[in-house]
Amino acid sequence: MLAPTGPEALAEVVRELGARGEAALVRGAGTELPQGNLPRSVAAVLSTKALTGIDVLDADEGVAHVAAGTPVAALREQARSEGLEVPLDPPSPASTLGGALAAAALGPRSLGFGRVREQVLGLEVVLGSGERTRCGGRVVKNVTGYDLAKLYVGSLGTLCVIEHVWLRLRPLPEETRVVAARVSGGEEAPAAALAAARLAGVRAAALIDSSLTAELGGGLPEPSRDGHLLIVEMASDAPVVAQSAAALARRHGGVTVPAGAIDAVAALEGAADDARHRAALRFRVTARPSRLVAAYAVLRAAGALVVTHPGLGLLCARFTCAVDEGAKHVDDAFATAQAAARAGEGSAVLAAAPDFARAGRDVFGTPPASVALMRRLAAELDPKSVLNPGVFVGGI
Amino acid sequence: MQPASSRLIDALRAAAGADAVLWRAGELFVYECDALTHHTGRPAAVVLPRTADEVAACVAACAREGVPFVPRGAGTGLSGGAIAFGGAVVIECARMNRILEIDPVDRVAVVQPGVVNADLSRAAAPFDLHFAPDPSSQQACTLGGNVAENSGGPHTLEYGSTTAHVLAVELVLASGERVRLGSRAGGEPGYDLTGAVVGSEGTFGVVTEVTVRLTPVPEAVETLLAIFPDVVSACHGVGAVIRAGLVPAALEIVDRRTIAAVEASVYAAGLPLDAGAVLIAELDGPAVALPRQVERVRTLCGANGATRVEVARDAAERQRFWRARKGAFGAMGRLAPDLYVHDAVVPRSKLPEVLEAVCAIGDRHGLTLSNVFHAGDGNLHPNISFDRRDEDELRRVLAAGSEILELCVRAGGVISGEHGIGAEKQDFMPLLFTPDDLDAMRRLRAVFDPERRSNPGKIFPTTRFCVESNPKARGYERVSFDP
Repeated sequence: MLAPTGPEALAEVVRELGARGEAALVRGAGTELPQGNLPRSVAAVLSTKALTGIDVLDADEGVAHVAAGTPVAALREQARSEGLEVPLDPPSPASTLGGALAAAALGPRSLGFGRVREQVLGLEVVLGSGERTRCGGRVVKNVTGYDLAKLYVGSLGTLCVIEHVWLRLRPLPEETRVVAARVSGGEEAPAAALAAARLAGVRAAALIDSSLTAELGGGLPEPSRDGHLLIVEMASDAPVVAQSAAALARRHGGVTVPAGAIDAVAALEGAADDARHRAALRFRVTARPSRLVAAYAVLRAAGALVVTHPGLGLLCARFTCAVDEGAKHVDDAFATAQAAARAGEGSAVLAAAPDFARAGRDVFGTPPASVALMRRLAAELDPKSVLNPGVFVGGI
Repeated sequence: MQPASSRLIDALRAAAGADAVLWRAGELFVYECDALTHHTGRPAAVVLPRTADEVAACVAACAREGVPFVPRGAGTGLSGGAIAFGGAVVIECARMNRILEIDPVDRVAVVQPGVVNADLSRAAAPFDLHFAPDPSSQQACTLGGNVAENSGGPHTLEYGSTTAHVLAVELVLASGERVRLGSRAGGEPGYDLTGAVVGSEGTFGVVTEVTVRLTPVPEAVETLLAIFPDVVSACHGVGAVIRAGLVPAALEIVDRRTIAAVEASVYAAGLPLDAGAVLIAELDGPAVALPRQVERVRTLCGANGATRVEVARDAAERQRFWRARKGAFGAMGRLAPDLYVHDAVVPRSKLPEVLEAVCAIGDRHGLTLSNVFHAGDGNLHPNISFDRRDEDELRRVLAAGSEILELCVRAGGVISGEHGIGAEKQDFMPLLFTPDDLDAMRRLRAVFDPERRSNPGKIFPTTRFCVESNPKARGYERVSFDP
């Protein structure tokens, strides 16, 4: 494992790999490694774990400059002491900042925080071709030069290694409250959940299938007879939280539950090292809000366990998968996810799965027509495919 | 400038129709500049296509003739991004002005690039939705231009610039190929190419369709007008509001000289002429949240020297407060024939010292400099009123502009927050970026437009200038393309 201790050393490592015609698997905390396609042959693991530190936490400005290997949890703790929060919600508390950005990691709270791309003000990176470059800056509004950061966020470690980040922070909310409710309505439940997600001050909203609620731990109401539990986190001024909580109580009999409930929802998606999850195929299906019900119906009919994030237009679907079930089972599950995506007019990605299920397939499905531009981009910035070769869309 | 070849004109007519091509000198004259009036360049021709197919055919015709092209919306841009260099053809999107769809459940609109920003919000209003980016030119500027420049506006503070609201685009590349990027549902696998196109200033091709997010109209709005003795104390008030964890929809400062111009104009808002600066603070959101927020902003303004704070009692009064802000650029017409609207961003905590230094630069050069700006996100707009027929004054204007940009960069800021780099600031890019940084941007451009035929001569630094001898234009005309 290569673990350079500074930006110049990192650039040196990348240049050296390029000169030798070798490739590396870029790794933060490793929490997102089950994502993407299996890499083509790599000579080394390139870790950002030695690139840590919060250089700037400017509370007046609400921004931070942080080394990419810094755990998000460490930044969150320091920000909190200044009355600020980190608007990122990666599935694992161990995630590094660089990893969360490279994976564009979403969590339930991404509804309130916004997309990962909106939180990034500037990046310093080492390109696959070995140069240290920067884009953006420390200010909160900026159109100076092309917005390369948008391309690096969500690139799964292809194109570049993120070295430092200028990140937007936000004020801590005055009050946070989590409410759980039993939602009836059968297959229409996602529509009711969407209306709940659009209440003022809602930061996270997830609709959980009854078969999954046992994994959430205690302290929650029993799901409705036709099988749904709605968990909503509100984070805002106290009067707004009270108003939306009252609306949830009126509509769905929502009750306040321990604040950890929303973290438990996030954990349903995370914990890649958990044996239970290793035996699962996890898909992320996106859908237009008006098509959530249709996409959900396809997944349920095929027996998937679904967590619906209505405000994000995202359905996280889980199929069990033992090794001996083989490729046919994976194909069938993939076909179901893609059918759901068609119903939702969105897309389907096999977000995490055991290696055998990822072998020999593109977990992103058929690439969009714009993949030709994506290949050109990768060829420009990482011409020798030094970083994470093969893990991205279309085998980039 | 050489007259356009008749072969080029014929090819454009074949692509978009005989009534869609302008090529006579008198017709082209009005396309010589955009809202950055002291930079000019006459196009070889202007073509007004009606459909994406026609755009593709026009671009293909340009490719065959080896001529560059420049996409253009309403021409309200302030960085010279829509000026044609090197005999380029202007592809003017004004006729592509249809709103194709508004979906109130998805909260999405699909529009052609020539749709006017304010028209989209008007069309979405029956659904209690609006398009949040609100540039000062929103009554004229188009969505295609907003996408090209990643436009902001006063309400960017809460809602973000255009990029936060664009889900997908259709783009005609310089090769004539049409590509769709992004998706309406979001989360499309692959690099966020849509994110790269927004703010690319027309250098990646011509955007022919945009899918945007619509934002709910807030349940309640409160607008405060705080009178400060000087602009520095107003900046301290802004800093206090941000530090207190409040997130207003807008925080705008108008300085003394701007107030004087506005009050003498048709935009008069009844502001006290002895005020050193006014701060307009707008809060929006759920009605239950606002009364306390209003009181906190009022208290923080008072604690930082505000002599009076008014809260708009009704919509008419709110509009009166905003007239002082939105009418400012129009009112500046009273001060001098020309106006140079600068655009730079500094960390908000640096606003007081930077503002003082900006005013000192204006004084040192003997210029009429006023400030009206998005204080909440540190986005300065020093406005220099001048007469470009006065060569010495123009020289001083440009010198002061350079010093202001250098000052902002030294303070940790950047050289554009919402107007773009265009033809105006390309030679200042090295203040912020190394040759390797700029090379990464060139490599990105090569992905979309390897021959640099879409809007050449913009964004990237070039040091070869010549001052045009034409006394009518007497601006700068660039004679070379990107290196």
